[in-house]
Amino acid sequence: MADKITSPDQLLARAQKAQADLDLRQGRKDTQVTVHMGTCGIAAGARDVVATFMTELSAAGVTSASLHQTGCAGLCEEEPMATITLADGTMYRYGLLDKDKVHTIVTDHLVGGTPVDAYLIKT
Amino acid sequence: MHDLSLYLLDIIENSVRAGATRISVGVTVERAADSLEITVEDDGPGLPVTPHEALDPFFTTKKGKKTGLGLSLFRQAAEAAGGGLSVGRSADLGGAFVRAWMGLGNVDRPPLGDVAASIFTMVATNPEVDFVVDLADGDKRTSLRGSELPQRLPALVAYQEALT
Repeated sequence: MADKITSPDQLLARAQKAQADLDLRQGRKDTQVTVHMGTCGIAAGARDVVATFMTELSAAGVTSASLHQTGCAGLCEEEPMATITLADGTMYRYGLLDKDKVHTIVTDHLVGGTPVDAYLIKT
Repeated sequence: MHDLSLYLLDIIENSVRAGATRISVGVTVERAADSLEITVEDDGPGLPVTPHEALDPFFTTKKGKKTGLGLSLFRQAAEAAGGGLSVGRSADLGGAFVRAWMGLGNVDRPPLGDVAASIFTMVATNPEVDFVVDLADGDKRTSLRGSELPQRLPALVAYQEALT
């Protein structure tokens, strides 16, 4: 998961990067990445998932996606979860996320256009 | 939950989900009184239920769910640390008000955790919400608000480090 902030300098660096990437989170873009942050999601590590998406989207230069949060989706055992919604309304729900999985999802799905089947929640 | 910052994040998420556009967070330490208090208040519609129901783990306003654990877990943690939790209406903002208090030096008090990360997460994913964060450690007070929040988060880090 994302490294814990241990100094004001580290946080400032992250904050400045976030400011520079303000475009990422302004309004709703064609592609929306929504991290589920109900009690279950938070307890499972959703806060770090948000931070990792922020970092990975920025690092990959993805400007067509906006990052959002929402509550519990009723699949608590799959937390931390994120839902990717495309412009045509197609939704992909990923579960049991960690830093590495978020990296793969950003690289393969959001940049490459191929959903990561192995991490999709099968319902 | 590992630490207080995650409980705080959960309570803020409640406010966002309720449709609040202004959310005020307070963390107050009174070392002489051995007291740590965390408050969250908003301008949302307020609690749709009685405070008693809001703190019942088997009561929730969410459709399709049978439990609402956030507030009750926070209350349990606060009570275990010699404190408590109350909910009601915000006198300043008109919406919900949540106040948790506990013994600062109580051995069962969860660590404060990364409050800065919790605030930052909610600010980053909810740019339409106006956040205000008020910190107090005795007479030392800091207020972070609005668009300046991301740049001023180091003040929050310094605050939480002083309590670790």
